Amino acid sequence: MRDQVKAWRLGRRLILGIPYAWLIVFFLVPLLIVFGISFSTPKLSMPPIEPLLSYGADQVMQVRLYASNYTFIIGDSLYLAAFANSVKVALISTLLTLLIGYPMAYGIARTSAQWRNILFLLVILPFFTSFLLRVYAWIGLLSRNGPINAILLKMGVIHAPLALLQTDFAVYLGMVYSYLPFMILPLYSAIEKLDPSLLEAAADLGCRPIKAFFRVTLPLTSEGILAGCLLVFIPAVGEYVIPALLGGPGTLMIGRVLWDEFFNNRDWPLASGVAVLTLMLLVGFVVVLQRVQSEKVVSE
Amino acid sequence: MAMSSAAVFRAYRTRVLWGCGIALMLSLAACRFSSPAAILPPMTGTEPPVINVYNWSDYVAPETISRFEKETGIKVNYDVYDSNEMLEAKLLTGHSGYDVVVPSAFFLERQIREGVYRPLDKTRLTNYGNLDAKTLARVAINDPDNRYGIPYMWQTTGIGYNIDKIRAALGDDAPLDSWALVFDPKYAAKLKSCGIGFVDSPPEIFDSAQIYLGIDPNSERLEDLAAAEEVIKKIRPYVRYFNSSQYINDLANGEICLAIGFTGDVLMARERAQESGNGVKIAFMVPKEGAIFEVDFMAIPADAPHPQNAHKFLDYILRPDVVAEISSFKKYPSGNAAALAYLPAAIRDDPSIYPPPQIVARFKDHHSESLNYTRYENRAWTRVRTDR
Amino acid sequence: MKTEPGPGSAPIVEPVSTPYVRIEGVSKNYGSVLAVNDVSLDIKKGEIFCLLGASGCGKTTLLRMLAGFETPTSGRLWIDGVDVTSLPPYERPVNMMFQSYALFPHLSVESNVAFGLQQDRLPSAEIRERVAAMLQMVELTGYEKRKPHQLSGGQRQRVALARALVKRPKLLLLDEPLGALDRKLRERTQFELVNIQERLGVTFVIVTHDQEEAMTLATRIGVMNAGEILQVGEPTQVYEYPNSRYVADFIGSVNLFEGRLIEDEPGHVRIACEDFENVVYVDHGISAAPDAKVTVALRPEKILLSRQRPADLDNARPGENRVSGVVEEIAYLGEVSRYRIRLSSGRLINVSQPNLYRHADRIAWEERVWMAWDSSAPVVLAQ
Repeated sequence: MRDQVKAWRLGRRLILGIPYAWLIVFFLVPLLIVFGISFSTPKLSMPPIEPLLSYGADQVMQVRLYASNYTFIIGDSLYLAAFANSVKVALISTLLTLLIGYPMAYGIARTSAQWRNILFLLVILPFFTSFLLRVYAWIGLLSRNGPINAILLKMGVIHAPLALLQTDFAVYLGMVYSYLPFMILPLYSAIEKLDPSLLEAAADLGCRPIKAFFRVTLPLTSEGILAGCLLVFIPAVGEYVIPALLGGPGTLMIGRVLWDEFFNNRDWPLASGVAVLTLMLLVGFVVVLQRVQSEKVVSE
Repeated sequence: MAMSSAAVFRAYRTRVLWGCGIALMLSLAACRFSSPAAILPPMTGTEPPVINVYNWSDYVAPETISRFEKETGIKVNYDVYDSNEMLEAKLLTGHSGYDVVVPSAFFLERQIREGVYRPLDKTRLTNYGNLDAKTLARVAINDPDNRYGIPYMWQTTGIGYNIDKIRAALGDDAPLDSWALVFDPKYAAKLKSCGIGFVDSPPEIFDSAQIYLGIDPNSERLEDLAAAEEVIKKIRPYVRYFNSSQYINDLANGEICLAIGFTGDVLMARERAQESGNGVKIAFMVPKEGAIFEVDFMAIPADAPHPQNAHKFLDYILRPDVVAEISSFKKYPSGNAAALAYLPAAIRDDPSIYPPPQIVARFKDHHSESLNYTRYENRAWTRVRTDR
Repeated sequence: MKTEPGPGSAPIVEPVSTPYVRIEGVSKNYGSVLAVNDVSLDIKKGEIFCLLGASGCGKTTLLRMLAGFETPTSGRLWIDGVDVTSLPPYERPVNMMFQSYALFPHLSVESNVAFGLQQDRLPSAEIRERVAAMLQMVELTGYEKRKPHQLSGGQRQRVALARALVKRPKLLLLDEPLGALDRKLRERTQFELVNIQERLGVTFVIVTHDQEEAMTLATRIGVMNAGEILQVGEPTQVYEYPNSRYVADFIGSVNLFEGRLIEDEPGHVRIACEDFENVVYVDHGISAAPDAKVTVALRPEKILLSRQRPADLDNARPGENRVSGVVEEIAYLGEVSRYRIRLSSGRLINVSQPNLYRHADRIAWEERVWMAWDSSAPVVLAQ
């Protein structure tokens, strides 16, 4: 009996160990390598970094850490501007995605079961095509000779083709389009859980539908809103492809800066520093949000 | 979710710390492990009939690879990339597993210094003599004594333009032989509405601007960089985008009317326009002030697992019939003198592909830049690109 | 199924006051499904009116139409003289206590109760005062800051009641108000509900499938089936004078016997049933055609059980309303015992007898017993 319990415990530990091992090997170790490289300096060698560990002449092991990458990043307005712009673009994209995604999620959650499946499929359908392909499709749609301009010209709404591509508009369009499913799915599950009788109760107590939305629906789906916003905001901050393909040349985002540091400047340590700071920015953001949320839970 | 996660985190703090410790040790070990391959593996014994080739996308003829496999019985694993930087990142990480790679000259130059490549064993390259002596002499500034690479194809950075649209915008006085067409704000302003695109590659654009100003493009003086930046800044408002591949399609379908780009890409746009029959006529111009000469090498990484097969592959590429087929298919001139005889006249006599000697004389060789200068250049590029 | 007034109906009591809630010819279709079929009903001020029926009978739909969550397909609804048929729920002088309570999980007890008052933009001091008073009435003072998930089922039910009552509605609708409570709590809460109703004088309309709940709470009961109201009356009326087999069977338990009217006098009738050797004698007249097929309904508690053949009834002929059988099952429930007795026809009859004595010589299995009932006991129903 006791042996059985022991075996069961061991088995449980092994099973729980698999995700831990996975996270350590494929997430924590690479992260720490990046973290380590961010304290190195570039060097003409293979790999192009100064090793952190070295042996001195007297066989003393030396660990050399350079903080210069961080002082450089913090002291240079370019990186700050890129961070700020990334956060701005990500925030606006998240807000737009929320504004568009919420009614969609609400609609899906409130339709009949057979329609719900079809609508769900439509939301997920874009995932069946490559992300890159879908962004390229937008290039075709938005170009001066593209179908959108052609239709508008034919309808007489405009007289010369609009410059839609390589604009901030195109970036936000691409962001919202690409990340919308990540917003809709958590929102849907939150709204779907919402008991419709709560809205009836609100109406019964004299609350008009719009007010009931803000007093009942919105607060009760706040977890879904939070989850959706994080799922959109976090990848949006580091987004590289959409601004590169749809954005104008003036779009300065941290993803591009990181790319430039790594590939063009070939400065792996500085690129790692940018990556670490980006990560810290996002982790800080999530931690603050979690605090706010958990304080809310405690106060409730 | 929020309330419990904090508590769970506290409870598992010790375990997390343990995990972090183990991970730190693993990562330190990993950092130490990736040391450069100092000693070249010897080219003796038999190699498995496999070769891993890493080439630019769209850079061989359709039959090139399958013919090699048929003739030698060596299976080719063929991968492609679309930027020197991507290739460099893989090579510098080490253990890329590739046997043949195709870097551009000014990347090869500094990678040689970093010990990335294996010296060629020219006794194994029976067709080496087919290479053009003048070209070999020219590229020796990047690859001293031609020790590490064979010149594959070459091209220049020039101006591709839509003949009709430029004429419509500028009339007959358009300087169709000069960098002034794009770097002089007087002309660039008039081309804004029909669209200007730049390849997103700082050295090419800055060097071209320096050539326009009569400055040595290989100069690493910061004043010279600033002068080039000043030129580009003035015309920046008229540039629609900076992108390394988009201008091919956009030139072809009339979306833009001018691009600073590579010979091969512009000629590809010209061909696409012809094929689609949309009436768009594209031309490529090597400005009279000169243009950057770009040559791509084939080379063997120092840690290539199949160096003997790699030499066989290079020798195959050195064959005039093989490289001529690639040249006529891709419309790139090669550094292979013997191949000229195998080229159809339409290719050989096309001045856009094989320019006459007086234009070749305008080509400027392109040295590798120091990493320090690259940083300044890229910073200037970011300023120009984002218009800050 | 459309029913005519049954032969055993009690004399109709004319409503004294004018109707407070008037439901006039209301129907509700969902596609081809008829959920409520031409219901007309008057409810007086201060009443506790119970809509009783099995699930799916349309009682909840009718309640939701009163609340405004559903719009009648046809017919009209009046509350206190105002036609509310097309008013949205948030404009009706009506509040509802939901079956699930529908308390707002993100709001405290206090905020839940205050919610309705805030919609009326009352001054906050008044809101506080009224909420406190209401919480005191439902004995939840001290629980103001709790969230619904921190309360027991009974406490939640009282919050829901307080929230619905705090707006002083003209009409309070209660959907299965005691359904989620355990038995002990139900019994206590039933009386609390009645107390509160009496104190505030609010008109209650309660929907329930539980006839015991309906009997305890209601001043009047409306029995519903298949979208129609079959009978409306006080609890004793619907129990003692059901007007149809459905009502007789649905409320309480009953033995039903098919029979034929063989003697039809103004003062009494006689019915021949195949299950009895002797006829059934009923001491009041009914309106039915002679020789009509009827159903005799006999409640188990109205049958007397004895070992000896009981004496004949004074007003009937010998042997009438007397029958013998063999005890097949006994269930001892404490206050009463229930028996299932097989007649010679093979038919089983349910009989229940109060356990009057502690040390009685109880009737046992397999015993042959006699059953007898008074001539006022049977209810005669048209088939």
